[in-house]
Amino acid sequence: MMFLYLPVALTSINIFIPIGLGLAVGLLSGLFGVGGGFLMTPLLIMLGIPATVAAATDSNQIVAASTSGTYAHWRVGNVDFKMGLYLLAGGFVGGLLGVEGIKILRAMGNADFVIKITYVLMLGIVGTYMFVESLQSMRKKTSSTVPVRKENKIDAFLKSLPLQTEFEKSGVTHSVLVPIFLGCLVGILAAIMGVGGGFLMVPIMFYILRMPMHVIVGTSLFQILFTCIEVTFLQSYTNHTVDFTLAVLLLVGSTIGAQAGAVLGRKLKGEQLKILLAIIVLVVTVKIVFELTLSPSLLLSQAGGH
Amino acid sequence: MSYLTTEKMILAVKVAMFSFISLFASDVFAQLTAKANHDHITVDSFYHGGTVSVSGVSDPGTELIIKVASEDVHQTLRKKGKVGGLLWMTVGDLNVEHVPNFYEVFSTKKLTDLLSKDEMEKYSIGFPALQKHASMNVSTEEEKSKWFDEFAKFKADSNLYSASAGNITLAQKDGKQNYYILTEWPFQAPPGDYTVTVYAVKDGKVTETATSNVMVEQVGIVKALATMAKNNGALYGIISIMAALGAGFGVGLVFRKSDGAH
Repeated sequence: MMFLYLPVALTSINIFIPIGLGLAVGLLSGLFGVGGGFLMTPLLIMLGIPATVAAATDSNQIVAASTSGTYAHWRVGNVDFKMGLYLLAGGFVGGLLGVEGIKILRAMGNADFVIKITYVLMLGIVGTYMFVESLQSMRKKTSSTVPVRKENKIDAFLKSLPLQTEFEKSGVTHSVLVPIFLGCLVGILAAIMGVGGGFLMVPIMFYILRMPMHVIVGTSLFQILFTCIEVTFLQSYTNHTVDFTLAVLLLVGSTIGAQAGAVLGRKLKGEQLKILLAIIVLVVTVKIVFELTLSPSLLLSQAGGH
Repeated sequence: MSYLTTEKMILAVKVAMFSFISLFASDVFAQLTAKANHDHITVDSFYHGGTVSVSGVSDPGTELIIKVASEDVHQTLRKKGKVGGLLWMTVGDLNVEHVPNFYEVFSTKKLTDLLSKDEMEKYSIGFPALQKHASMNVSTEEEKSKWFDEFAKFKADSNLYSASAGNITLAQKDGKQNYYILTEWPFQAPPGDYTVTVYAVKDGKVTETATSNVMVEQVGIVKALATMAKNNGALYGIISIMAALGAGFGVGLVFRKSDGAH
């Protein structure tokens, strides 16, 4: 077996494990437009990587995977840069607010309990809603060929807002305030829960911004790319927790996985993509519920991370 | 003058007696020695742990305890506990002080068969002695005992704490006892200095100690990366980001070319 020593994580690892993990998570990233931190970080911790190093290094490898994925989606015209930039601007402000929010939560006490429960509920609700909705629209499609999306009160409210602009790539018109606000909201939640927020952003883009599924994946990756560049730099600069060697091993797999995901995604319909993402989100929810209810073998863990 | 002469005479007799006893002693007793044979472990890119052997000479018939430990450090870990009687989650931090990050102890027999509790505590030999020395942010002795057990379990899981008996090889030769042990050195043990202490034990008491050192040091690229990450975080971050961007684009270009080929 081939082992490499990780200078920052201070541990040795069989190189095929992070490359394989990178491939699998990169595939999901290219397919669904999520960073995959909710899967990768706990898996790295299970391999003996300290939690802080796992989270920071994952951000670094997501930079590579999302670059690869964004590039693959951009080549086929599936990235809405305009929408992505507005979401990003909102996300940046949301991230700052979220960091302050977590301080307030911690000062109130029992923050971890609130955060964990919110995270599980959110994953569960988003996953179940997407699953049921995708299943229903797949059934409808088999009976009638033209999908019709009814306009609801939220759509009417969004249209009444000022600064309406057309997002040509997505084929939608919204006030610029909408993506900024939604980006901010996801940024706050992501910062508080310590995750990237892709699993929240993708459904929001679909159900509220009404973007086509394939453009969502490319645009989400574009946004994740910039978020992870910022996180990687901050983690390196302030916490010194990015392990370059581990990141390289992960990105070898994830960049290829992201390309494969993008190719595979083109062969799947929007509804199929949605239902698959819903299943993954639900599987992660069940995994966290098990972690919360089954007695752990060790009652201590390394400090840092989530 | 005569007083001084008497004093000198007494001193001379003392020196002669000590020399005589020492000479006699060297025939019967062997001074305890300890040598770590792989005392400089270099951590390069392909490092996956190593081996360390400790050998030396002791009095015939003495039992031996070998302790390998790092310096005491402050350690902070996260405690998991049941919240609302149902859910397992982080319930706070455990701060542990006055215990080493790395601790291994080997002995010719079970520690409790070799030493009294007081002796073990005096020399920090065995986990109960470590627990005694440790200070933790807990309110009762009961809690301390519970969390120290968890702490030792956590450390053992990372191969940083261990205690085993019966793995020291002894050989009697020329009225001396040679001892030898070969141990696996875990890759989880971080770079730093480690002290090997050998205790000679007789009748439940430590009669002699000898020490040696093991140094674990990062070298080459491993050292360069670790140093850069620590001392030049901004540049390290920029390089990490540029490498990731480059890899992402590079793989993208390769795939575009392969797409074009088909």
